[in-house]
Amino acid sequence: MKALTANHLLDGRVVFWSQGQWVDRLADADLFDDSDPAGPEAEAEARAQTKLVVDAYLIDLIQAEEFWAPVSYRERIRALGPTNHLGHGKQADGGPSIAALQQAHGAARSSGRVNLIKRK
Amino acid sequence: MYRYDTLDREILADRSAEFRDQVRRRLAGEITEDQFKPLRLMNGLYLQLHAYMLRVAIPYGTLNSRQLRKLAEIGRTYDKGYGHFTTRTNLQFHWIKLEDTPDILDALATVDMHAIQTSGNCIRNVTADPYAGATADEIDDPRVWSEAIRQWSSLHPEFSFLPRKFKIAITAAPKDRTAARVHDIGLMARRGREGELGFEVIVGGGMGRTPIVGPTVQEFLPAHRLFSYLEAVLRVYNRHGRRDNIYKARIKILVQALGVDEFARQVDEEWASIGRDGDLPDAEIARIRAAFAPKTFETLPRESLGFNEAKAQDQAFARFVRNNLKPHKRQGYTIVDISLKGIGETPGDASSEQMEVVADLAERFGQDDIRVTHEQNLVLPHVRLDDAHEVFLGLAKVGLATPNINLVSDIIACPGLDYCALANARAIIVAQDIARRFENQDRAEDIGELKIKISGCINACGHHHVGHIGILGVDKKGEEFYQLTLGGSGAEDAAIGKILGPALPIDKVTDAIDRLVNVYLQERQVNERFLDTLRRTGDAPFKEAVYGDAH
Repeated sequence: MKALTANHLLDGRVVFWSQGQWVDRLADADLFDDSDPAGPEAEAEARAQTKLVVDAYLIDLIQAEEFWAPVSYRERIRALGPTNHLGHGKQADGGPSIAALQQAHGAARSSGRVNLIKRK
Repeated sequence: MYRYDTLDREILADRSAEFRDQVRRRLAGEITEDQFKPLRLMNGLYLQLHAYMLRVAIPYGTLNSRQLRKLAEIGRTYDKGYGHFTTRTNLQFHWIKLEDTPDILDALATVDMHAIQTSGNCIRNVTADPYAGATADEIDDPRVWSEAIRQWSSLHPEFSFLPRKFKIAITAAPKDRTAARVHDIGLMARRGREGELGFEVIVGGGMGRTPIVGPTVQEFLPAHRLFSYLEAVLRVYNRHGRRDNIYKARIKILVQALGVDEFARQVDEEWASIGRDGDLPDAEIARIRAAFAPKTFETLPRESLGFNEAKAQDQAFARFVRNNLKPHKRQGYTIVDISLKGIGETPGDASSEQMEVVADLAERFGQDDIRVTHEQNLVLPHVRLDDAHEVFLGLAKVGLATPNINLVSDIIACPGLDYCALANARAIIVAQDIARRFENQDRAEDIGELKIKISGCINACGHHHVGHIGILGVDKKGEEFYQLTLGGSGAEDAAIGKILGPALPIDKVTDAIDRLVNVYLQERQVNERFLDTLRRTGDAPFKEAVYGDAH
């Protein structure tokens, strides 16, 4: 499974793709099957939104309880916030989806970022 | 302290207005991210994991209280109420909005500060001895030369697009508190036979993926020839440094490729053609030196009764004195180190409130002078012994009196994967866990000087190569692992640490550090630091302690 993420141009915050819009929570993001062409299509559409976001890319997800978590630790930190300031970033909102992300572990590979080399 | 003139202020105002327009054009879609990125980086603005990060230059780590208060105010207004002091003695704000950045640059300009040349392939902020103008063993005041280099290198047309970034360090004394031998250029203050001032010049040191203790290319460069020589070094580098491969673009690679003798020969040839026209007039150096004229020190007795009494009655203060106070060149005065390594805190972070307290103390008791160290601490360089206890109490109220300078918990750590887009692993969490393990101050003092330095990637912002114990975060299939190195030093006995063995998972790192320390405590002889014992015994017993169970 994959999700589409980027940083918002105005404030740099991490955002996720949902129904053609950008949302703050991974739990609200659209999910794409690995083989679903909708993922790369959304990525192409997102990359054209240069006045809204910077550096849109797909990330790999794994199941974490009833939620989906990024495969890589880096992407989990992006989805949560810094682990030295638990009151900073998205994790400050709390809730079950945040707790599931915080508990997720294992199965990581590479940066979790899809098409890293071909980017640009 | 050096004061900006009208021209300096006009340059900052112009630069800020220029960036405001660039941000406007980016937000309006008139320029692309690819076009905008180099422009924002020239103003110290990076895009990191959670937000933009603004790196503010603190020239040679010197601040006055007005400037520190302004940084506190910016932290409170535009960030989350804090800032992060870095190993380049700069300050980073980690939660900045692009649209706020022009206003922040304007705010910085009101106190003669900016973020120019805190990124990009140019000459970066000079590292100077944080005890400049204060230390009892000073040969010369490095701020004079650092400020002259700042003026010379700022927006320098020839050296603004070097093959790669370029970092210079200047020492004040035989003791090196700047890591000069692992800089692109290290200038170590020396006196000649006749007492004349000069520098031992080291070129091509560095850390990153190719760590090198820089070779000496000039045993004694007369100080008045410094600028023509710097120009010659930079020109040879600019001409021949590799622009085809970012990993081979630093001057250290060029020096190694040419060989030190050939590199020095080419520099000498260039130096001869530049001649004395490339040197700063003595009058200009004198003008800058006047800005750093010694403060008006009182004539005080060597001993302070109040100080001695406080030390006898307040054990916490006595411990603080042992670890955080250093000898001042004027009797009756002391240098106060302020640790930004509270146990369990983020190394280098200071809240806006803490910054304001330090600013107040500097103004009341410290001749309005504050320094930032490359080890991510602060310094009040001129405090009367009579006032030291009051300063201590003021610091303690805001959690800034941790008595751990140069001890096991005084750990350098880069922001790592918690913030940095380049990092492979976290560094802060590892530092916090180690600090908690060694929280007992009696034990920490018994262990003595032990420099642990942690980087979250091979770029080595956390200086792990020169840690007595270095810790490097690596990515193994998306999970965090940590490689230990032993025997590094960033001081006058500079050395690059040697990898101890296979990388460890995050939950094994603190135990490993504990085992290394225990080996040292068992093996040490009288007055040996961790590093001395390690150098005497070699790493075999240390290796056995960490990896023995695995065999």
